[in-house]
Amino acid sequence: MSVEVKVDQNVREIVRTLVEEQGDEKAELVPILHEINTMFGYISDEAIKELSERMNIPTSHIYSVATFYRMLSTEPRGRHVIQFCESAPCHVAGGRLVWHKLTDELGLAKGETSEDDKWTLLTTSCLGICGVGPVMVIDNDIYGNVTPDQVPEILSNYE
Amino acid sequence: MKAFRSMVLVSSDPDSMERGALDVFSKLQQQIKAYDLDEEISLSMISDVSKKGRDPLVLVYPDAVIYGSVTPADVPHIVEEHLYKGQVVEEKQISPYDLSGSVAWLSARKGTLPAENRIVLKNVGLIDPEIIDEYIINEGYQALGKVLNEMTPEETISIIKDSGLRGRGGAGFPTGLKWQFVKGAKGEKKYVICNADESEPGTFKDRLVLEGDPHAIIEAMTIAAYAVGANEGYIYIRGEYGLAISRMKKAILQARDYGLLGENIFDTSFSFDLHIHAGAGAYICGEETALIESIEGNRGEPRSRPPYPTTKGLWQKPTLVNNVETLANIPAIIRNGAEWYKSIGTPSSPGTKVYTILGNVNVTGLIEVPMGITLREVISIYAKGMKDGATFKLAQTGGSSGSIIPASLQDTPMDFDSFKNAGVSLGSGALLICNEDVCVVDLAKVLLNFFRFESCGKCNPCRIGNKRAYEILSNISEGVGTLKDLDDLLMLNDQLYELSNCGLGQTACSPLHDILTHFRAEVEAHIKLKICPTDVCPMSGRWAYQIDGYRCNGVSLL
Amino acid sequence: MINLKIDGKNIEVEEGTTVLEAAEAAGVYVPTLCHHPQLTPYGGCRLCMVDVEGARTLQPSCTLPASDGMVVNTNSEKVLNARKFVLTLLFSERNHFCMYCQVSGGDCELQNRAYDEDMTHWDLQPNWQPFEVDASHPFMVLDNNRCILCRRCVRACGELVGNFTLGFEERGADSLLVADYDVPLGESSCISCGTCVQICPTGAIIDRQSAYKGKEIDVEHHVGVCTECSVGCQRDVLTRDNHLVRIEGDWDAPLNHGLLCDQGRFLPLEEDRPRLLTPLVRKDGSLKAATWEKALEAIEAGLGKGKGLAALASTRLPIEDLALFKSLFADGLEAELVTSLEEGFPTASLAALADATSDPFEDSLDALKDTDAVLSLELDLVEDHQVAGFFIKRQLQDGTKLIVADSDENKLADKATLKLDFKSKFLDQLLDAVENGSDDDGINKAASILKEAEKPCIVYGEDFAAQADEKELQALLELKQALNATLIGVKGNANSMAASQLGLDSPFKSNGYQSAFVMLGDEKPTQKLVKALEEVPFVVAQAAYGSQLTGNADIVLPITMWAEQSGTYLNMDGRLQEAVKALDAPDGVLTSQEALLKIAERLGIEPETDWEASLKSRVPTIEIQKA
Repeated sequence: MSVEVKVDQNVREIVRTLVEEQGDEKAELVPILHEINTMFGYISDEAIKELSERMNIPTSHIYSVATFYRMLSTEPRGRHVIQFCESAPCHVAGGRLVWHKLTDELGLAKGETSEDDKWTLLTTSCLGICGVGPVMVIDNDIYGNVTPDQVPEILSNYE
Repeated sequence: MKAFRSMVLVSSDPDSMERGALDVFSKLQQQIKAYDLDEEISLSMISDVSKKGRDPLVLVYPDAVIYGSVTPADVPHIVEEHLYKGQVVEEKQISPYDLSGSVAWLSARKGTLPAENRIVLKNVGLIDPEIIDEYIINEGYQALGKVLNEMTPEETISIIKDSGLRGRGGAGFPTGLKWQFVKGAKGEKKYVICNADESEPGTFKDRLVLEGDPHAIIEAMTIAAYAVGANEGYIYIRGEYGLAISRMKKAILQARDYGLLGENIFDTSFSFDLHIHAGAGAYICGEETALIESIEGNRGEPRSRPPYPTTKGLWQKPTLVNNVETLANIPAIIRNGAEWYKSIGTPSSPGTKVYTILGNVNVTGLIEVPMGITLREVISIYAKGMKDGATFKLAQTGGSSGSIIPASLQDTPMDFDSFKNAGVSLGSGALLICNEDVCVVDLAKVLLNFFRFESCGKCNPCRIGNKRAYEILSNISEGVGTLKDLDDLLMLNDQLYELSNCGLGQTACSPLHDILTHFRAEVEAHIKLKICPTDVCPMSGRWAYQIDGYRCNGVSLL
Repeated sequence: MINLKIDGKNIEVEEGTTVLEAAEAAGVYVPTLCHHPQLTPYGGCRLCMVDVEGARTLQPSCTLPASDGMVVNTNSEKVLNARKFVLTLLFSERNHFCMYCQVSGGDCELQNRAYDEDMTHWDLQPNWQPFEVDASHPFMVLDNNRCILCRRCVRACGELVGNFTLGFEERGADSLLVADYDVPLGESSCISCGTCVQICPTGAIIDRQSAYKGKEIDVEHHVGVCTECSVGCQRDVLTRDNHLVRIEGDWDAPLNHGLLCDQGRFLPLEEDRPRLLTPLVRKDGSLKAATWEKALEAIEAGLGKGKGLAALASTRLPIEDLALFKSLFADGLEAELVTSLEEGFPTASLAALADATSDPFEDSLDALKDTDAVLSLELDLVEDHQVAGFFIKRQLQDGTKLIVADSDENKLADKATLKLDFKSKFLDQLLDAVENGSDDDGINKAASILKEAEKPCIVYGEDFAAQADEKELQALLELKQALNATLIGVKGNANSMAASQLGLDSPFKSNGYQSAFVMLGDEKPTQKLVKALEEVPFVVAQAAYGSQLTGNADIVLPITMWAEQSGTYLNMDGRLQEAVKALDAPDGVLTSQEALLKIAERLGIEPETDWEASLKSRVPTIEIQKA
């Protein structure tokens, strides 16, 4: 889910456009938040304030919805977001050892972002690709049947 | 549609076009006319079916034969031998499994294994999900046509009730009965929702249907809507299933285009349309009232029941919520009848069930078998035995809150009632098979971590209880557990079952009960002997400082 | 009707009743924490679980609808164990150090429920992780260590007040109370109504003003009407040793059912003006302390009567005082001008309309609680009369439409469906639009919204009243008819309407008055008034607090402030309510009434004391009734 934050684009303008396109009914809240998250990598305070005005939904509600769902983040993330599946099927298939290797290589604990903002390491619940566990997703790339030896190579693909 | 005996389709994506698909097409046109077959055989160009290196493709239906790397020179032979005489030209034929790339066949084998019976997965991997015509040719939308033109809503519900179909999301509630409840509920406006949230660990059966046979769901939902009196529906797909969402979107557009969705379907007075609503990463949204809350733009916190969604669901209107797998059975039941469905499976659980086979076995993947197969059969026949000759230790059925089956129960038939009688649950059909290297404490810790993380937080027992259970298991895995902890775990299981607001809390700790029933010695080894028999747990001996409540007199240095 | 059995008792209830409500009706007590009679049931704390025969598990009685033939047991062993379990879990989730908490020892519902179950200590240790404390707000501190996540505060902030400042972030055990998008409460959209403090069952939300100053067992309650504006909320004033401890809303009050705003709840305790304790008489250019005798002497000498005398009274004072005031100055002294400090601005034009039609045309504030479209005219319900604003705001998320017509900035506008510019003849145009359509898009839209609504409401305040001419008022009545709308007239101060009924509504224009009597009460005088009075040679002021006005006066009489007097108040929708004395006044300080009677006696006048009769002197804009 790494995106280049378009610093010259106005968050508020984009939010306004999204609401115009998708409508301002409350049912559109989560889909629109998802769009914002995909575009900017996270949902900023600015985005929440604009969305609140456009959809006439209190900011506290938008914030409590945005922080409830795991695919949405209200904090900026690293350039590359690693999601490692920690559910039972991947774990049993060998995930435990892959996780150790991953944390070792990166020097990060679950949930942390590296100093240079390159990596954010997250664990995730089952993604529904259990047949090829252990599973790791980096940005939009899916890696299946991961072994600990493969970890350094996989990580080296990313700038 | 005009009735042809065969459909010939030529791939026309950029790669195919580059390699002369248009010439192949004109040659086919010419040859078919030459053999006087143009009234019997329909010829068209279709997009995006390519397989790199094998383009252009020529597909012949209903034979389901695919010819690859076809040149104009091949055409006269194909037309004479196959279309005229009915003999497949084997030299040019390629495997259908190469076509739909991301509908993953997880094991390398052709055809179906013995005793498999593909109802739900009938089209998956065999048709291109992005071409509605392929669905139609394979008995697609026939059931809907029959229902709208020949049956009343009551008759439709009747068939489903007679078939004995039970919900495949995990609860096993009789589907026909649910439809009847919604039909009988007061109110003009009703909704039909397909629960495609599929977040249960180890379950990806719904994903395959959504990616590989989206029209089956559209057809089923339209039938359901007609039966219960709804005009609007939602398919709630979990946000992580990007491909499923885009394929379903495309399928809906195509269905609308063909008059199979939207106003006046099949030129009858019945209208029904669908929205897709994507989830955003919450397992709890698979619970039907949490799903409804999510569609309404709220946090996915389950509602208090009663009232149930069948009386007060989406926007407080009567709503039918069905799982993907349940719905995928509907067109077949309508086409073939209730008796046919009852002839498969067991009397209390007719039909088939899709199982995902995962874990330390040789072959992982999906199978669809009649209800009643045993675990031993699954492992030996389908999974081709334990990987690397390991020993079977335990299996968890039905997802992360499912039962833990020890070796002694491997021969229990897997259907809702036999399992219930043996004290285990079937759930969503995930089968996680573990060998002797899996530590039960570590496994339990991973399971509880999942529930602790996914708990919505509304009710105290689940929110606090799951965290407590996880902490206790962490302590045991660090070598600082006590025997009282085991009593606490069982107590938590009992109380969470009694008191939680929804299924997540009610069943989160149930694996603990099974583990302590069948594997107590192993757990106690962690506590009494401070060792992990499988050498998995850290057992670092880290101490958590605790205050002895009885002795503390509350004096503080602050 | 439904018949069910609870703990062996048969009870008959209406369809839609919950098992908890049925138990209450049957006299059976079921403990709860997240439940509150004013809020929709939540079903989160799981303390109210009961045994229902035939059910698979225990059931939450607060959300379970009672059904015919149900058999309920509220004190089986299973239920009692469950309660202990829930409470044990709650105590272990956060850091509940009772010994340091301001509500410990009777005022904490969590502690009380635990004591009810004979629990005395923690059975499960907490994990000793510190949680955030937000101390940024002037009146409230949010201590997450004591929070039991019952969400009463969040629900109240939304359902009752409609402000939606509070929310919850994250999920599961990471759930945390936050304001807006996680900003400190002191920087948030919080309007300091204090409903959250009042409704919090534990010490998680701390009332800074009253923390540690007195628990339930220490204080005295005085339930009476608030004297800050014409909404007339009932409130409960808590005192201890003749000091104000805290002001709370009264959940049983029919009008405001527990709600208050910062003006009625917190600000009265921030009073810092200097208190007047003795009469003052001007001598040799400066005010000097004097006895009541001396002050009365000076009044007799300098007040005068008839032409040249102006008398003004604060509408914060009780009706009894105002009626006495009128009788003394208008009938007794025949003063040239007898009016209130509001000078009739909020009420005169509408009162004239009522006089003309002889027919009360306004409706009860209750209409505002259940409406699907509101037209607000020249009225900012975020600034004042806030509780009326709450009634509107809390319906906006459920589809109620709000049209704000204002010639100025209006804080309610950003929540409105439509904001229009209010100009003169606005209602005339609107009426036209309702009947025939209009060229003006905005007015047309407003007209169609109101026409489509089933229960539209038109609410207006003093700015509207002050500028409305006959034609506009006529249009108002016709709109009421055409739209089948309710009319809510927001008045000024607490006894604004009473002043109107007594005819105390003339403007105070400089007319060469020789003397003036100002019955200020505890009101803050405006600069305009101070300036106007500078032109009057002889000024007598009756006041509780020192101000520029009293500093310029010739005679000052010290009187009681709101908490030290009782009296009757007539709110904006015709309810007669009692304000109740909560404190004893300092020695030497009298009530306005007592002071007036002394003056009357001195001047040899016997004033009329039947205020009830005097209220009937003209047709009110809404029928008057005893609350």
